[in-house]
Amino acid sequence: MPEPSIDLLAIERGTVTAPAGCGKTQLIADALKRHAEIKPILVLTHTNAGVAALRARLDRAGVSPKTYRLSTIDGWALRLLSLFPVRGGITQEQLQLTNPKTDYPAIRKAAVRLLRDSHIDDILKSSYARLIVDEYQDCSLPQHAIAGLAARTLPTVVLGDPMQAIFGWQGNELADWEKQVCTYFPLAGELNVPWRWRNAGTEAFGQWLLHLRRLLMSGTAIDLRDAPGEVVWIQLNGTEDRTLQLRACQTKAPSADGNVLIIGKSTSPPSQQEFASQTPGAVTVEAVDLKDLVNLAKDFDFHAADALDKVVSFAASVMTNVGAPDLLRRVGVLQRGTERREASEVERAALRFVAERSPRTMVDLLVEIGKDAGVRTYRPAVLRACIKALQSCDGGTGNTFYDSAVRAREQNRLLGRPLPRRAVGSTLLLKGLEADVAVVLDASELDARNFYVAATRGSRQLVVCSRQSILTPRI
Amino acid sequence: MARIRKVEISNFRCIKQLTWLPDSGVNCLIGPGDTGKSTILDAIDLCLGARRSLQLTDADFYRLDVENPISITLTIGDLDDALKNIDSYGLYLRGFDPATGTVEDEPEKDHEVVLTLSLTVEGDLEPEWCLVSDRARTQNSARGLVWSDRVRLSPTRIGALAQANLGWRRGSVLNRLTDEKADATAALTKAARDARAAFGDDADSQLSSTLTMVQDTAKDLGVAVGTRVRAMLDTHSVSFSGGTISLHTDEGVPLEGLGTGSTRLLIAGLQRKAAATASIVLADELEYGLEPHRIMRFLDSLGAKETQPPLQVFMTTHSPVALRELSGDQLLIVREVAGEHQIMRLGSESDVQSAVRLYPEAFLSRTVLVCEGASEIGFVRGIDQWAYANGYGSIAASGVALVDCGGGDADKPYTRALAFQRLGYRVGVLRDDDKKPSAEIERQFKDCGGAVFHWTNARALEDELFLNLPISAVGRLIDYAEQQHGDQQVDSQLRSESSNRVNLASVRHDLEMDALSLETRAFIAKASRKRRAGWFKSITWMEEIAREIVGDALESSSGELRNIVFDAFGWMHNA
Repeated sequence: MPEPSIDLLAIERGTVTAPAGCGKTQLIADALKRHAEIKPILVLTHTNAGVAALRARLDRAGVSPKTYRLSTIDGWALRLLSLFPVRGGITQEQLQLTNPKTDYPAIRKAAVRLLRDSHIDDILKSSYARLIVDEYQDCSLPQHAIAGLAARTLPTVVLGDPMQAIFGWQGNELADWEKQVCTYFPLAGELNVPWRWRNAGTEAFGQWLLHLRRLLMSGTAIDLRDAPGEVVWIQLNGTEDRTLQLRACQTKAPSADGNVLIIGKSTSPPSQQEFASQTPGAVTVEAVDLKDLVNLAKDFDFHAADALDKVVSFAASVMTNVGAPDLLRRVGVLQRGTERREASEVERAALRFVAERSPRTMVDLLVEIGKDAGVRTYRPAVLRACIKALQSCDGGTGNTFYDSAVRAREQNRLLGRPLPRRAVGSTLLLKGLEADVAVVLDASELDARNFYVAATRGSRQLVVCSRQSILTPRI
Repeated sequence: MARIRKVEISNFRCIKQLTWLPDSGVNCLIGPGDTGKSTILDAIDLCLGARRSLQLTDADFYRLDVENPISITLTIGDLDDALKNIDSYGLYLRGFDPATGTVEDEPEKDHEVVLTLSLTVEGDLEPEWCLVSDRARTQNSARGLVWSDRVRLSPTRIGALAQANLGWRRGSVLNRLTDEKADATAALTKAARDARAAFGDDADSQLSSTLTMVQDTAKDLGVAVGTRVRAMLDTHSVSFSGGTISLHTDEGVPLEGLGTGSTRLLIAGLQRKAAATASIVLADELEYGLEPHRIMRFLDSLGAKETQPPLQVFMTTHSPVALRELSGDQLLIVREVAGEHQIMRLGSESDVQSAVRLYPEAFLSRTVLVCEGASEIGFVRGIDQWAYANGYGSIAASGVALVDCGGGDADKPYTRALAFQRLGYRVGVLRDDDKKPSAEIERQFKDCGGAVFHWTNARALEDELFLNLPISAVGRLIDYAEQQHGDQQVDSQLRSESSNRVNLASVRHDLEMDALSLETRAFIAKASRKRRAGWFKSITWMEEIAREIVGDALESSSGELRNIVFDAFGWMHNA
């Protein structure tokens, strides 16, 4: 079991640095299991998916749900403010999150105010035994302020790994690990046993990843040829890169039920989708905002002349071999009654849709397309959500396709993502997911942190495509 | 360790409206009967007690008006962690500002975190308990306390029938002392089965003809009852429920057999021990069943004398002993003023505090007559007794208490009277006129509605009597003085106070002649009130002459005596 020297329940205020796969979640589960007080421990993390994943891990570890309250930091802030809106100085409109872009920052700000002015110190003390914040490297400055202020009242320990901080971008400045996190929450310990790899029988690989982490942190060059046997380097040569990358995508999992994560270019979801469509058995991991679905639904008019075009091109964006132009042409022919060949199942479904123009017939059409020979769904998350949205909408006020799509998106946020056998995504999308094999399609696209996150996704094998064997990712 | 911070009652029984911020220790409600003291205790009990239903009637509505719902709202502070839990009660947690007594809808720094619990009953008589906050109301969410929290908050009522607390029944204080639980279920179930078996078929033979008739009828009607109907002990009749375990002496006598007082005393003591978990106590008529010395023990065990009160106690009393034992801050007068109930703290100012110690009875009345000295007290009592004997009402029935100022400074009755007046009592002053009070204090008193009764023309009571009573009554007064003090003393006082102008013999002669000059009357009066040798200067003596002699003579007396006495009594009765 992880370092017995670190007892989360004994830390009044501190940070535990937790490199990937070193038993951080187990450490939290153990602490919660030992927690015998009536008051629960408040456990906060960043994303709804993170909440779902952590809850599943805690359930598996046999932690009683009575011992903890689990939420995202934003979710907790939102809850506090919905209970005490006046003290936080927030309006009901903002609490409705109708403009998430401005409302979330307003909510964080208000939560800081509520906590800073000590209005609910007594209530927090009565409600929670202590506070644990997971994935602290992803804390933005306002979130760090929320945790810091709560820590005035509750014993608090934060866990995270600065080398996995990849969520910082313009407008979402993260708390600096050394200067801000560790000064407010003094370093209480660092996990250093690569449990995930030890359990997979690849301890040397795990140790090398810890070594890699140190090198990446200090900006030292890495030579992939020095790595243990689990690390495979595929040299790109600039001429047949695509072929080499597609071959890498087909790396076999070590066992029949093993899985492979393929890490593509963060900034280009279309390129990830392309790899998925061209790799047998691969599907995409989608961003939680399901933008393509929401965009489709936003101005979709069942009665517009191009409704069928839109449906078919949507189908083509989530399934392979849809043959959109052919299908549209055939529907035209069939409508004019000048056909020589009888309509296929798909074409009949398309005709029904054109005749009825309803969510129900749209579902049928999408399903029929999926059943067609040679068609493979490579973006199942989007298709599933779309079908679900269509099935639950009735076109009435408040329940249009768009309303329903937004609902499906919000539900999707709260669900843990099931891990497909072979998934294509980016570090941002795959963080927190674990597989047997990780494939990095182009190491040069990744900075030090992203490379570390990518390299630590697989417990049995790491396949890295790059021009040089010596890498020096930007810090 | 919960404490009620604010009580709001409307349309409940005799209370139309009441808002009150009780103290966190002892709150002893006093005041004349029917002002709503017990109603306040009932209100707290109904709102905070762990009940699932209530038996209410139209009579529980203010003036039977069921259109206006009964509403009892209690704001509770000093909450334990479970009650301040954000997940259970977040939407209902509010802030109480102890300085102003205001409840803010959201908690605030330096304000106490409180919950507001309300009981409302509409015309359908269905009670509804729920937590209250503006936030919950705007969100249309309504919930009450979790049952286990209600049980913990539930006040212990030490009523006339406190015996229930001597068994492990629901709500008994015994359950709150520790977490120990006796489980008699298994034993009782076995006993029930044994009893059934032991009784067996005895009933069959005792009830054989009835059984035969049942058997035959069932058979005729084709009702299947088996081959033979049997009479057996009904299982329900031998089932036992909660409360089957109770306290007994070493001889096995149930403690429920203890006297009322002992029971109440014991329960108060146990309640003190259970203060950590159950901190609110309601005690009606705290003196009920208790001798004076045990009243003190009772109050002590409820923590009345402790600086950090262990319990929040709401009680009522009509016992002067209890009043004397409590401080002015623990005593509260309940009054109805212009349709609203008010609760006024006696307070710890020294004049009030000393008045409580000296005249606790007065605080239990509606009307207070402050008398200058013992003579006035005795006089009023005597006349009252005479009036009662002659078919008039007694002032006691009108809720009048007499307060003795013990003579001395002429302003003293007013200082005392003003103290009562400030507390809302109807106050009158009865004084001599020989030493006049300062005009300022008397005007202040009158301006606040005080009534003043005094003798005329700088006279003392004795002057007014001897100058105005008919001769026959004067004669009887002198007879009384002779009996009490001996003829020598009466004679010598007459001589000395008149500079030998009159003596006992000359007065007797004048009385025989029915010719008593005003001058002689004045000498007799002066002699009768000689300092430290007054013939009637004790409550008993004055009471006796007023009852036996003055009362009958009032009608035929001259001057203002009759009017003053009638005015004073009229005022006392016309509360």
